[in-house]
Amino acid sequence: MIYFYDGTKEAFLTALLLAFPDEEAVLSSGNRQLTLGAETVFVRTDRERAARAEARLLALDKDCMHDLDLLLRSGMPDRDAVALAYFKLIAARGGPVRKMLAEDAVIAAQECMRRVSFEVHRFHGFVRFLESASGALYAPISPDNDICDLLVPHFRARLPQYPFVIHDVKRKKAAVYDGDHAFLAPLERAEIVLSASEDDWQKLWRKYYQSVNIPSRERLKQMRGYMPVRYWKFMPEKFSDGS
Amino acid sequence: MISEEKLKILTESAKYDVSCSSSGSARKNAGGMGNGYVSGCCHSFTPDGRCVSLLKILLSNDCVFGCRYCPSRADSDVPRVTATPEEICELVIDFYKRNYIEGLFLSSAVHRSPNYAMEQLLVTVKKLRTEYNFHGYIHVKGIPHADAGLVHEAALYADRMSFNLELPSEQSLKLLAPQKSKESLLSPMRQLQRERLLFRAEKRREHFLPAGQTTQMIVGASPEPDGQILRLAQDLYRVNGLKRVYFSSYVPVVHDSLLPEKAAEELREHRLYQADWLLRFYGFSAEEIVEDDGNLSSDFDPKCAWALRNLHLFPVEVNRAPLEALLRVPGIGVRSAYKIVEARKFTRLTFEDLKKMRVVLKRARHFITAGGKFQGTENVSAVRGLLAADDRQGRAEQLSMFSDAARSALTGEL
Repeated sequence: MIYFYDGTKEAFLTALLLAFPDEEAVLSSGNRQLTLGAETVFVRTDRERAARAEARLLALDKDCMHDLDLLLRSGMPDRDAVALAYFKLIAARGGPVRKMLAEDAVIAAQECMRRVSFEVHRFHGFVRFLESASGALYAPISPDNDICDLLVPHFRARLPQYPFVIHDVKRKKAAVYDGDHAFLAPLERAEIVLSASEDDWQKLWRKYYQSVNIPSRERLKQMRGYMPVRYWKFMPEKFSDGS
Repeated sequence: MISEEKLKILTESAKYDVSCSSSGSARKNAGGMGNGYVSGCCHSFTPDGRCVSLLKILLSNDCVFGCRYCPSRADSDVPRVTATPEEICELVIDFYKRNYIEGLFLSSAVHRSPNYAMEQLLVTVKKLRTEYNFHGYIHVKGIPHADAGLVHEAALYADRMSFNLELPSEQSLKLLAPQKSKESLLSPMRQLQRERLLFRAEKRREHFLPAGQTTQMIVGASPEPDGQILRLAQDLYRVNGLKRVYFSSYVPVVHDSLLPEKAAEELREHRLYQADWLLRFYGFSAEEIVEDDGNLSSDFDPKCAWALRNLHLFPVEVNRAPLEALLRVPGIGVRSAYKIVEARKFTRLTFEDLKKMRVVLKRARHFITAGGKFQGTENVSAVRGLLAADDRQGRAEQLSMFSDAARSALTGEL
């Protein structure tokens, strides 16, 4: 049986209850191709049952909802299957499984979570804010995983006086900090009037980036490994001057 | 706003300093801008594969010293510029606000005199902390021969300080950096270590170098063997409580009759970093890893070379060996060793399990058994051949595995 759900935590937990006894269960939140002959169920979120499932899982492993949150943020195509197998194992073992590091379901889940957490860490460094005329900061990002709201606490702690918007242009949503509160909002496109000096600071940053490099020790492969090309789009040091 | 030209000159003079780490400080934002990030954070990577974490810059490249290897030495014909403390502070604030950098690494040539240069560094970081209310990471270079009082005060504002040893022996220092002496570098290091411990013992609330001290030396400009360099590093870790000792391969930026014409081999720097890792995270001592001729092996990484000299200790059984023994297996890193120790609590590990867990077995298989099974080669000379070939291939793919950039990108920590 294929269980379709909407990718939210509540729907996942509802689906988990349905899929648990089904050994052949396939879980999907994407546009999975319908396999001919396979039975499909569209899981409708049942908040009450989801809450009960959550309470039971938390009794088995008090940290497992944190894992679920990370897993459901993953952009990996098999993340639903990975999450299902991981939670089935928690239920079957009746306790935490995250240290069973030779278990397939745990290896896959850890890898999936590691990628999400690692991308959050990377974006603590790779986010580039543009200063708007009002002084508010705006950063467009296009991450692999659904993480824009996870970036807020970090920047809020270091820039409390600056309202900012971190805009996931791929998922068309934004994490907003208004100088007081933080929230998530859908955002298609943003029109930003840049501050008068923004261009000059970007130029200085490019000059710095060029000057600190040691050309005789070129290692482009290493650079791309640490800072993959797909992230360059919004980094001014990777724009050529005059653009 | 600082001019592009000035920024360029002051950055190019600072870029050979290896340290870029921003780790080790949990400084809180006290009502202004910025905070520490304990694990450190890379903000960009340059085409040389190095990480950009801190704004690494000199306050001035106008020097009265004549260190032979240095492009800013007094008698060299280069444009001299000096930034104002305000120019540096503005640059930090506006770069930090845009998340270009994690903080400042401020250094200086010996401008006018050691005390004047140190004072200017102090004025700048003090201004940044108190007037600009900046609480992000600050690394300040110490100027040799500066008064202890100035050094002490700088440490009240900095997260980390470093006095660079520059060269691994007193003789080389005399020859190549005649105005610096071993004592002028080691004595402030000891002073800061003493004061730091005192602050901690008294549970003082002010910060005093929360991220400690580091140092750096140039390798390949002078004749010291690897063993001497590593024993020095080991002493600095054990006795002076340093957080990191950096090595930088000599790059001939200036021509001088006392200096080699050619750049030092990067392989040597690579091996020294591998050995340094063994000292800090793998429980090895310098004496164990240096070869009989006083150097590190060039054919094998130092752990492999040690294991080949100590074959009577192998193979070890992954299901039983203590963590310390696993850490000494070639090819098994800190992360793999911990994974093995956790996983074997639940199951008897096989080679299949190890593969699934992404423990790299290419080298390790010659030194371990899993559930009593051995998958390595018995013939010692065949093992040597395989390991040497593997090392060459690994290096071709990724030379500086142990460079700062590499490690910080892999674990977010320096």
